[in-house]
Amino acid sequence: MLVDVRMPDLSTTDEDIVVVRWLVQVGQRVERGRPLLEIRTDKATMEVESFATGVLREVLVGPEGEVEAGQVIARVEAECAAPASPAAPAAPAAREAPAPRASSSDGPARSAPAARVGMFARNRQQAARQAEAPCAAAPADLAAEAAPLSATQRIVARRMQQSKQTAPHFYLMTSANAEPMVACRSAAGPEGAAWDAFLIYAAARAMKRFPRMAARFENDRLVCPGTDAIGVAVDLEGDLLVMPVAGAAGKTPLEISREIRQLVDRARSGDGEARRLHTAVMTVTNLGACNVELFVPIINPPEASVLAAGKVLPQVVAVDGKVAIQRRIGLTLAADHRVVNGKYAADFLGAIVDELETL
Amino acid sequence: MSANSEPPRPYERDFLLGLYRRMVRIRQFEEQVRFLFLEGSMPGTIHQCQGQEATAVGVCSALGPDDYITSTHRPHGHALAKGLTPREILIELFGGATGCCKGKGGSMHVGNIDKGMPPAIAIVGGGIPVATGMALALKMQKRPQVVACFFGDGATSEGAFHEAVNMGAIWNLPVIYACENNLYGASMHVSRITRMKHIADRVAGYGIPARTLDGNDVLAVYEAAGAAAAQCRAGQGPVFLELLTYRLTGHSRRDPCHYQPEEERRHWAGRDPIEAFGRTLRRRPDVTAEDLDEVKTQVLKELGEAVEEARRAPKPTAEDLTTDVYA
Repeated sequence: MLVDVRMPDLSTTDEDIVVVRWLVQVGQRVERGRPLLEIRTDKATMEVESFATGVLREVLVGPEGEVEAGQVIARVEAECAAPASPAAPAAPAAREAPAPRASSSDGPARSAPAARVGMFARNRQQAARQAEAPCAAAPADLAAEAAPLSATQRIVARRMQQSKQTAPHFYLMTSANAEPMVACRSAAGPEGAAWDAFLIYAAARAMKRFPRMAARFENDRLVCPGTDAIGVAVDLEGDLLVMPVAGAAGKTPLEISREIRQLVDRARSGDGEARRLHTAVMTVTNLGACNVELFVPIINPPEASVLAAGKVLPQVVAVDGKVAIQRRIGLTLAADHRVVNGKYAADFLGAIVDELETL
Repeated sequence: MSANSEPPRPYERDFLLGLYRRMVRIRQFEEQVRFLFLEGSMPGTIHQCQGQEATAVGVCSALGPDDYITSTHRPHGHALAKGLTPREILIELFGGATGCCKGKGGSMHVGNIDKGMPPAIAIVGGGIPVATGMALALKMQKRPQVVACFFGDGATSEGAFHEAVNMGAIWNLPVIYACENNLYGASMHVSRITRMKHIADRVAGYGIPARTLDGNDVLAVYEAAGAAAAQCRAGQGPVFLELLTYRLTGHSRRDPCHYQPEEERRHWAGRDPIEAFGRTLRRRPDVTAEDLDEVKTQVLKELGEAVEEARRAPKPTAEDLTTDVYA
């Protein structure tokens, strides 16, 4: 009977297991308990023993092939019963091989291993499916295979990793009265400024009073950038882009909003320059449109800070000793502690709130 | 050190064959589990005890059914020795609802309190304060039972070990601290965690009797544990036993065990507790090679049936999620 040999769950993490080499060649005998192949996990190189006795008929994964636990890696023409059936001697096979038995071709246990995907493999598959479910935008073929990243995604991946590993982030959280922003937007009619535009406007003006926020850390020194541009993070079909808006402190939110829209249009039309992940003095990122109330962002290096904004929501607040309903926006400032201390960043965040509340 | 040099005259044949059967059951149980893991049927990592059967069987055979044990991340042998059936443990390992912990414990938490074994505690050294507390309860309730507490050499460098053993000592608690010294805490050789040649010497500082003995000699372990239990029941506990043994497998199924030197492995393979006890038994006129083969055949049959049952055992349902949960 031909039985499937599956990769046992030998990895201590969910990393793939690498086949190093087969210790038995196709056509040769394998024995229960004897080494069948050598594998490499995230932790160690080790031999995998066969659970069946018979002849190796097929090898499905060659040297350096990567497999998941539970994946079929070979097929064995088993002469002996499948494992753990009542009469199969489960001897420590390094010492003795089990005797072949006459009535080895029937019984419920024998077909079981071939038909069954291991419980752990099922669990993982299920977990993987659940993890994929919300990614509606992901290409359908992402499923189980490794998906190549776009050039932009690769850069973002490297940058974000570098940022998290080298920039000591700290996070300040607050909220601001959003009524002035709401009022501005309604006053402007149908072409109201994007929320991002207000945040860029406020951050650019606050930075005039807190110039150290614009510096970046380089080789144990603070370096002043040659720009005053504030970036805004934009998701364009799965690619993360940063659109820089220069001189924002001297522009109106509406002007800033139009500028962003033009930059996005250029990027969407394939303008290479617009598609770059620009650096500015800081970045603004806003997930309010996705119903996120508050989140903790990653600094876009070499910038020293990033401002995250959540959804504008009506809140119950006390105004002049009376309960009132007020629309508010949640803000998180992530700052690089090599550049600024908590107090300085807190005052900067306070200045942003002031700007937003006194438009 | 070894009692294997002479036939054990004072013991009944059936008693000795019973010890042998329990050790074979543990070995073959672990071998079945090993292949179930390779086959992909058994989830998770598994800590096996091939080579350490004599410590579990020797200690537990000296206890009564109503005495207690605590166990570790390597609990299959302790559970089988304390009287849990292969069936209830295998079903538990398959995550079945009719397992000894209703499928919620798995390999590292097997146990059955009705048989004197609370679910095993996988935290290294975690069972030592628990066993000490159980012994305190027994003493306060003036009950005659004792607790045998299994742990490894690695656990003896945990703070919990020193605090609990000292408490057991100052209150004369009825607990047998059974240290299975298999030379390695995961991959760390015992010589790298203590300057003492014997772990028992560390315990002398707590003022309790502490012995080092051959943990692969099931009768020696049985006799030492029996004497320790009697001492505990007489209100003169606790007792510390350092049982020298060796695991013939990796720390877990995922451990290729490269740190065990080849020569050391060969040395201990020649001191296999089951083979040694088989040789001892064969020196008796009333035990034949066929008797020993028959034990193995019966054990394999019993295990084969248990595996088939475990494969078919129903799994817990969503409704079971909130039962037997305390927080």
